[in-house]
Formats: sequence, C-alpha cells, structure tokens
Amino acid sequence: MLLTGCSGGESGPPTLTWYINPDDGGQDVLAQQCSDASGGKYKIQTSLLPRDAASQREQLARRLAAGDTSMDIMSLDPPYVPELAEPGFLAKPPHDVVQATTQDTLEGPLEGAKWNGEIVAIPFWANTQLLWYRESAAKAAGLDMAEPVTWDQLIKAAKSQDKYLGVQGVRGEAMSVWVNGLVESAGGQVVSDGQDGQDAKITLDSDAGKKAAEIIGTIGKEGLGGPGLATQDENASMIQFQGDKGSFMVNWPFIYSASKAAVEEGALDQSVVDDIRWTTWPRVDADTPSAPPLGGINLGVGAASEHQDLAWDAVQCIVSPEHQAQYFATNGNPPASAKAFDDPAVKKAYPMADTIRKSLDNAAPRPQTPYYNEISTAIQQHWTPPGDVTEDTPRETTEFIQEVLKGDALL
Amino acid sequence: MSSTVDSRARASAPEKPRGRGHLSDRARSERKLGWLLAGPAFVIMLLVTLYPIVQALWDSLFSFRLTAPGDREFVFLGNYATVLSDIVFWRDLGVTMLITVVTVAVELVLGLALALVMHSAIKSTRGLLRTAILVPYGIITVVSAFAWFYAFDITTGYVNNWFSWLPVIGPDFNWFASAGPALTVIMASEIWKTTPFISLLLLSGLAQVPGELSEAARVDGASSWQRLTRVILPNMKAAIMVAVVFRALDAFRIFDNVFIMTQGQYGTETLSLLAYRTSIGRLEIGLGSAISVILFICVMIIALVAIKIFKVDLTGGSGKGR
Amino acid sequence: MLSTKQKIGWTVVSILVLVYALFPVLSILMMSFKSPADLNSGKFLPTSFVSDNYQQIFVGDAKDLFLPALRNSIGISLIATFIAVVLATLCAYAIARLDFPGKKIILTTALMVSMFPVISIVTPLFNLWRQVGLYDTWLGLIIPYLSLTLPISIWTLAAFFQQIPWDLERAAQVDGATTWQAFRKVIVPLTLPGVFTTAIIAFFIAWNDFVYGIGLTSTSAARPVPAALAFFTGASQFEEPAGAISAAAIIVTIPVVLLVLAFQRQIVSGLTQGAVKG
Repeated sequence: MLLTGCSGGESGPPTLTWYINPDDGGQDVLAQQCSDASGGKYKIQTSLLPRDAASQREQLARRLAAGDTSMDIMSLDPPYVPELAEPGFLAKPPHDVVQATTQDTLEGPLEGAKWNGEIVAIPFWANTQLLWYRESAAKAAGLDMAEPVTWDQLIKAAKSQDKYLGVQGVRGEAMSVWVNGLVESAGGQVVSDGQDGQDAKITLDSDAGKKAAEIIGTIGKEGLGGPGLATQDENASMIQFQGDKGSFMVNWPFIYSASKAAVEEGALDQSVVDDIRWTTWPRVDADTPSAPPLGGINLGVGAASEHQDLAWDAVQCIVSPEHQAQYFATNGNPPASAKAFDDPAVKKAYPMADTIRKSLDNAAPRPQTPYYNEISTAIQQHWTPPGDVTEDTPRETTEFIQEVLKGDALL
Repeated sequence: MSSTVDSRARASAPEKPRGRGHLSDRARSERKLGWLLAGPAFVIMLLVTLYPIVQALWDSLFSFRLTAPGDREFVFLGNYATVLSDIVFWRDLGVTMLITVVTVAVELVLGLALALVMHSAIKSTRGLLRTAILVPYGIITVVSAFAWFYAFDITTGYVNNWFSWLPVIGPDFNWFASAGPALTVIMASEIWKTTPFISLLLLSGLAQVPGELSEAARVDGASSWQRLTRVILPNMKAAIMVAVVFRALDAFRIFDNVFIMTQGQYGTETLSLLAYRTSIGRLEIGLGSAISVILFICVMIIALVAIKIFKVDLTGGSGKGR
Repeated sequence: MLSTKQKIGWTVVSILVLVYALFPVLSILMMSFKSPADLNSGKFLPTSFVSDNYQQIFVGDAKDLFLPALRNSIGISLIATFIAVVLATLCAYAIARLDFPGKKIILTTALMVSMFPVISIVTPLFNLWRQVGLYDTWLGLIIPYLSLTLPISIWTLAAFFQQIPWDLERAAQVDGATTWQAFRKVIVPLTLPGVFTTAIIAFFIAWNDFVYGIGLTSTSAARPVPAALAFFTGASQFEEPAGAISAAAIIVTIPVVLLVLAFQRQIVSGLTQGAVKG
C-alpha cells in the first residue's frame, strides 16, 4: 500500500536504489542505460538527495546508521566519504572492481576516494574550479592571462577597474572550499593526520593560513566581492560575473553551460558568453602552482545492501569512461577518468576540458577526516563574513575546532 | 464512523443523574464510556510526546554520535554542562527571546488594531476583511518565508529598489549578512503570518465587552482613546492574556522562517535551530537531545510563569476562558 | 445610512488590510510568473508573464520531485486530519456530555502537547522510527502529525459541543422519533459544522508542517511539499531555481486560499471557540 515505500519488486529482476545528487538528469539516463546493459540482471532506480552537500551527507548518514537495506548505490561527496567509511557503513569494493574502474583515474579524484589508504568508493566524476574571466576586463586591466596569475594581481586588477572579483563568501560549504584551496595553494594544510579523527592535528594556524586570511579579508574589507558577498554562493557569484561589473571569478565549470543556457532562455546576451575565458585557479605564491579545489562524486555501496554484488556490477557500468564522457558532455560534470577526457564529444562541448584536466591533476581534496563536517562548519563560522577575517582568524579557528572536536563546544 | 454513532446514541439517551452521594450503575457506566471515548485521543497524545521526551532525556546522558556508534559513552550530565557553559547556547537563547518579545509585542498592537477594525467594520466589508486576514494564517510558513526572502534578497529582491530613498537601504544593502537586518525580515514574516490569529482571539474578546459600558463612557464624554484604555482593554484582559501566552510559546519555538531565510547564519540562530543542527545536522544525538530537553524545559517555564503571573486559566474548566 | 466620509474611510481601511494580508502572496505569485531572465531584475512585476516555472514543476525537470511531494502532502495531511477529527470528536463529546473524572487532565494534556517543541520530538522519533521501519513512510508522518492536530481539535470541538443544545435530542425522542432519527435529524446537523470547521483548522496545521517533513523523511516516498521546496535544484546542484520554488509555493497555497474563501465564517468561529470561550 501507499503507507510504506515500495519494498523492491518480488517478481522480475531485483531493483537497485541509487541515491543521486541533483544534476541535469544525467544520472537517470545512466541508470536506465546500465539497467538495459545488465541484460535483466537488475534494474536501477534513482532517488534524489538534497541540494547542498551537508544535507546530502545528513540524509545518507542517517539512513546508513539505521542499517537501511535500500542503500545499494550512493553518490557521495568526497569530503564525507571518511565519515561514512570509518564506522563501516560502506561496503568494501571487491578487488576486481577496483582494478577495472580506477586504472586511469586521475590522481586527485583517486585520493578523494580513499580512507586509511584503501579505496572505499569509486570515483564517478571529478570537479574542480577554474579561474573564469571576462576577456574585456582582463585586457583593460592589462593582465596577461596566458601566464599564471596570482590573487594579489586579481585584487589589484579588480580594484583598478572598479569591478567585482567573483568569489563565494556565503556561510556554507563554498567558503570551506575557498579557504582550503587558498591554504593548499600556499603550501599548507588545514588538517594533518585526519585519520586520527577527534585527535587530528589542526594546522590552519600557519603562514599559509595567514596568507589565506589576508586574501579573503582584503577582498571582504575592500568590497571587491560585491555587496552580497556575505551571502554569495556559486550561483549568485555567477550572476554577478555575468553582470556589468563582472571581471574575474573562481567557480566550478557549471557556469559555462548555465551561461549558455541563459542565452537560450533570453536571460543573457550572447556577447557576454563570447567574452568569457578560463584558466587555472589563481596562485597564492607567484612561483608555486595553485592547488585548485577538488569536488565531484564517488559511488559507494551500502554495507547493509542486500544486492552488493549487483550493485558493484552496476557501479562498474556507470563509471565506464564512455559513460563518464557522456555525462560530462550532457551534464557538464567532468570525468575522473583520464581516458574520458579524450572523447571527441567532450572536447566539442567543453572547450575548457584540457584546462579542467590539468587542474584536476593538481587539485587538493578538502581535509579527509570523519569529522569533516565539524571542521567545515567551524571554518564557515569563523571566516564569514569575509570582511571580518583578520590575521587572527586562523588561530581562533584552530582553537575553536579543537574544542569542538573534544566535545567541549557547540557549533 | 459507525462506532461514533452508536456510542453517542447510547450515551445521550439517559439524562445524567446529579447530586447523588454514591455512584450509581449509570454513573459508573458513564465514567467508563467517558474514558472509552476520550481514551484513544489521550493515549495517542501521551505516546507521541511522552515517549520522545523520555527517550531524549535518556539519550542526553550519553555522548553519542550517529556515525561513531562504537564510541557511545555514558556521560551523565556532561552534555548539559557543555551546552550551558557555551556562549552559543546563550546567544541563541537571547535571539529566541528577542524574537519572542518583539513579535508578540508588535502582534498585540497590530492584532488589536485589526480586531478593532473588524469589530466595527460595516457588514459589507467584514467578510472581506476576515477572508483576507485568514490568508496569512493559513499559508504554509515555509512559503511565507520564501516570499519574504525573495523580496528582500540582494539578487532576486525588489525591496532595495523600492526603499532606496531611505538612508541605509540602497541597491547594495544585503539584508541577510548581519543579525539586525536579517532578524528584522525574519520577525516581519513571523508577525505577518501570525498576527491574524491574535487578532481573531482579540476579536472574540472584544465581542465580550458589554456594549453598554462603552456607550455609557461615550455619553460621559470619554474620548475614543479613553474608552479603549479605560473600558475596552480592561474588560478583555483575559482574551489578551490567552493570546499573549499562546503566541509567546509559539514564537519561542520559531524554526521554519529562520531555516529557510538564513539557516541561522550571522547570529540569527534560534534554540530550535541549534537543537536541529546538533542532533540532525551534526548527528550528535546526545548533545542534541540535551538541547531538546533544555528547550522543552524553557517552554514549560514560560507556560508556568505565564499562568502564575497572569493568572490565566488556560484550561478554564473544560473550555471556558477564565 | 453611511456618510460619504465614513464610506471613504472604510474603503481606505479595507484596502490597507487587504494590502497587508495579500502583498507577500502577490509578491511570490509575481515571482512565479517571471522568466529566468527576469528573476533577478529587482522589480516586483515580471516584464512579461510566462508559465515556464509551472511547466517545470508539472511536466519538466522538477516534476519527479514536486508531484510525489504534492501527493504525499495531500494524502498525509488528509489522513492525519481525518484520524485527528474522529478521535477528537469522540473525546470532545465525552468531555462535553459525560460526567467522568479526568476531564481536566485530558484538556491540560492537550494544552501541554500543543506547546511541546516539535524539535524535541523529532530526534527521538527519528531514532525510534528507523528501528521500527517507520522512517520515510506515510505512517511515520501521520503519527507525529497527530501531536499537532489532536490537541487543537479536542479544544475546538469541546468548545463547540458545549454550546450545542443537546436537550433538543431528547425533545425529538419524546416527540416519537427513534434514536437513530433523533441522531440523524437533530444531532448531526448540530455537530457537523463544528466537526467540519475543526477539520479545516487541523488540515491547515498538518499542511503547514516542515520540521517533521525534513526530519522524518528522506525520499519522495513520504517527503511533503514544504520539505521538498528545499530540494529544488537547477541544471546543476549549484543553481537555485527561485522560479520553480515560487511556482510550487503558489500551488500549495491554492488549497489554503480556496478553503479560506469558502469557509471564512466557520474558520473564524472555530479559531476563536477553541482558545477563548465564555
């Protein structure tokens, strides 16, 4: 009856449930394709998770903790993999599946799928941020974008042109992404020994941390991020970037397809899209390559799933390089597999594919620890609004995180 | 519904015997029937609230994180100590109290004005006015929160454009970036949605003020203001008190608006949100349960204090208002 | 009868009240008709009225999210309302008509339950529900919804029933009507308005729930609309479709407006009966 959810078809092939993060319908298509390809062994049915990463984790963790047997396949945001792997909520991938699926996986995404040195989930796609810019603005500021640029240069350029520098200052996961990207690019780390859980060392109070604070604080104090900076997320900064005062912006590749779609809807002028260019994430230190943020999705299988073998079969099908390429071309989410980047369809749909691939090679994951949620929330609380960030912020954040991890403080 | 029919018919046939010293069979069977009819509702109410609060009390004595089930540990009152010694808790309590006091005060004034308008409105407009104010009452809080959020938000909103002639507000004013403005919008939406309820309670209070009293005062030369403060308000004290207590308890539990508009960012977090974020967001069941219990105790204290101080008899002998 | 001055006065006052009551609704209604290009225009009115957002939630990308949520919201709210009203009718009848000890306890309990912070219920309930398999099911929401709808239903109905001239029933029987006839011809017409009004108020309350909706569900199997609104997304997870959210918000407001339009008088009397009486 309606009162209970459906409990898997008694007749016909077993139904695998795939908990998917929101996208443009690409995972639904893949579910269908792999169901068909299984030759009647299984049927994949998708179930949508919430929009933001933290709420996705919340839903998954609660179901997994409850020993929900419907958790066959899950689209997992990499930073939350350790928290789910540590208590044994995730099934261990069989050796042959790991072999078959991770041969040509790029270094960054592969690291993000590991916990305690072992692969616990299979990389499905990998995301990274690029530095997007309006060619007109870069020209006016006299910046040579063929060469790597630094945050200091961008700040100066935006200031001189009286334009906005597109960043995400919202009190949300985007802020942690930015902070971590800056710290890693400056050669530091937010956390070391993440596997120690509550006893992990918080290493944010370092030169790298102070440099990150200086950059974020300056952008905030000088109003370079625009008036809405303190509540500005990825979407809002894209809209700002498309406007008259847009100049440079760090953001995920979705902005390219979203901007093209906006032109089709009549919301944006074609000339704006023609003006958009991209390069790798800005450097903190002029001589050190940047470590761009890493995102994406890994596929995990629930430890309580009743169809683990079939689920791994399905995962293997979903993450094939062809499927990753297809997913990129249709949904704009870049592959984790090196081979998928060579697909002609990809090159055609996403002229920045090469830049993305190069960025993924250098991309740094966010701290891998079962307490990532606490660390991220603590960073968000102390680094927003950006205008209030000072050189003391890294130290204060470190002390606060330590207290929270010990259980002595509320978040 | 057939059981309703039978029992009702059976129960209503004989008239109640009164004033007897001992229980007759009839009285005894009436007692039985009374509990038979009222029992299911009573038991369900108890189960859905008593069980959770007892469970929360138990859980609050443990350090327990849902994603670290192995580390569960008895800490007795440790969670309470952590919560009560944390500035975050007191800040959220302050925000919650601020919202409660401001919204109830504004709603009382606004609700009284609305009630007076409806009370003295001519027949042709009375229905229209009532219908209109019932819309905010009935609308989903989340919908109202989105409506207010989109109107004020710096990307989608038009409020900044409309009010840019005011000193602080301009196209660049970010309402949700600091506590003051954000709480203003949150409180405005709360006031908008719940004032109708207060005004209806006050309206029925107004209806109970004897018309002759007000009329007599008018004949004696009292101004409208004097009539309001000297005659009408004192005579509807009971209604006002009930309205204040009901709304205060409701406002103290505010969650939906804050969750949608700011998620508690920038000093707008309320106690309900803190409890939610700790137990459901962070999956810290022990700590979250402790906050839930404290929230529950706060609500009980408010209710008891209100009843003691204002001498409001909310149950008023099976439904009578004082 | 009325002077022109009074007429103008009342017109102005009425318009003020109307603007107060309806403006935020109008605001999100206008939002729901904006095209994507228009959403960030900073203007109240759309430049042109388009139905894109409604298409999106009924036939487009957001269909799979919105339609099940709408079905859940309607089904769960109606069932919770029905159960609450049936139980509350029995309970209120006993309180109003029968002489038994514990009436005051029941009414006090109802009052306490209605003051209970929902957040304090949702966490323990979540733990219990996942153990007994009620997590993310209709029943798993209907039961906690009773904690919201039962108390107010009992109060409202008890107040209603106390006003009913029950003697009429006896009079009818004296006049030769059978018990069944007396019930059908006298009692039902007397109680039905109260029961119906209570049902509307209880429905509003169940319809409005958000905390249980986000706390006790995780898929479209039971997720109601208010919770689903927080799930809407654009082509990628970074885009927030303000237009589609607005359209969905308007759709779930329509039943409220219709009920208010049709039963304004009953709702007002119901709301005031339950709380302040006598």
